[in-house]
Amino acid sequence: MILSLRNVRKSYGATRALDDLSLEVDRGEVVAVLGPNGAGKTTAIEIAIGLRGADGGDVRLFGRSPRDPNTRLRLGVTPQESGFPDALSVEEIVRFAIAHYPHPAEPRAILTAFGLDALAQRRAGALSGGELRRLAVALAFAGNPDLVVLDEPTTGLDVESRRRLWDIVRDYAVDRSVLLTTHYLEEAQALATRVVVVDSGRVLFDGSTCELRRRFGARRLSYAGKDGHVAVTIDDTDEYVRNLVRDGVAFSNLEIVPPTLEDAFLTVTGGRK
Amino acid sequence: MNALLLTRTHARIALLDLFRSPGYVVPTVVFPTLFYALFDLQYARTDASVASATTLAFMAFAVIGVCLYQFGVGIAAERGRPWERYLRTLPASIAVRFGARIVTALVFGLLAAGCVAAFSRAATPIDLDSMQWLRAGIYVVLGGIPFVLMGVTIGYWVSPRAAVPVATAANLLLAYAGGLWLPPQYLPKFVAHLSPYLPTRQFADLLWSVSHGSSAAHALSGLAIYTAIFATIAAAGYRRDERRRYA
Repeated sequence: MILSLRNVRKSYGATRALDDLSLEVDRGEVVAVLGPNGAGKTTAIEIAIGLRGADGGDVRLFGRSPRDPNTRLRLGVTPQESGFPDALSVEEIVRFAIAHYPHPAEPRAILTAFGLDALAQRRAGALSGGELRRLAVALAFAGNPDLVVLDEPTTGLDVESRRRLWDIVRDYAVDRSVLLTTHYLEEAQALATRVVVVDSGRVLFDGSTCELRRRFGARRLSYAGKDGHVAVTIDDTDEYVRNLVRDGVAFSNLEIVPPTLEDAFLTVTGGRK
Repeated sequence: MNALLLTRTHARIALLDLFRSPGYVVPTVVFPTLFYALFDLQYARTDASVASATTLAFMAFAVIGVCLYQFGVGIAAERGRPWERYLRTLPASIAVRFGARIVTALVFGLLAAGCVAAFSRAATPIDLDSMQWLRAGIYVVLGGIPFVLMGVTIGYWVSPRAAVPVATAANLLLAYAGGLWLPPQYLPKFVAHLSPYLPTRQFADLLWSVSHGSSAAHALSGLAIYTAIFATIAAAGYRRDERRRYA
């Protein structure tokens, strides 16, 4: 097991941030943590990477405490946005991150993979928002770690950079693991082998995106009937079509739209996004 | 990873960042020398013993300024920043991050004190031999330790907004009352009574022992007590911030 949080509890004063939350990441998995703002995603991630301690429960990163710096030799994390020392160049920052790890990536390879080649000598203070984001994500991979943790990795990225990052994550996760939080369900759909939906500090769903849609998403069915357009949202569309045929209802242009991840997600969280 | 190598890496990156900010480097390194030229040069120019007493006092003043600003203001400003948060996720211990801060402050402290010394050698009849300069260099580092910890204390107990005025007030009042600007015998009476107990005065006494050939033991033991006091308060401040931000 790469990462396991078991029955983790965490309160800030009177506010309960995590309430018996359990979460696991295995080798080769890309796990996306989804949830509305304030659901406890960030707290769960901060506890997983050793930035915060839990009030109760068990936290294991590579079988050890993430609070121990040596445990983090196999962990890569993105800094929060726009947090770099202004006067340092992109390459200096990448090399700084690399210096912490026993088997790091090649600095050049990292710069190339994240489209930072041309910016290598640029000072962090002169980077655009998207460039800063790419640098931040690049640092998580710089140490060639066994677990990469990405907090909202593609917020503020253009479509091309986003797709490029997705490719990198997919390639990376073949023999290693990625834990990410995201607000884009499209991103979870594209990347995650498993999604964990969190709200009010609890896990509401843990499984594949297909399973999430199957269990919580209704299908939409529509057709042109004798008296005009008919549209319904139902779980069992097969049964509905059989009934139409059996009852001899005249219909044309039958369309069945599979449930979207968004619908399923909203059903799980009770409409909160 | 080797902790010493990593400390060097952290210090290097902090120094690079600071050295590329002329707005930080020039005032930090040059101001103590400028003060010296304005206040004490006129007296030091004519007398070798006045020259060494004032120069050594201003070397202490230079180091104290760096310690209080580099640590006090620096920590207060940075402790909530995303970059600090990122550093905490790296496989580097607290010792590495603090060690790098100390190295960074020492580099600037030695530069600022060295600037005072170089100016004095050029402009006054100061006559310390090379062994005395070496001792002064070592004492500047040793005497700086309690002030590093005083800076850390300010950094963790004072808000970012208040850090600059607090560090400035501490720096100026302690420098004055410690006899770094005026010889202690010229201080007002009640300040003169207080002066021997202040860490700035003990730092000055330590450095003056180089030119007087007197014992440094008394000054060193006083500074050791202040080191223990500020280490305790600084550690409590660090843990308090840790609980608030990263508990």
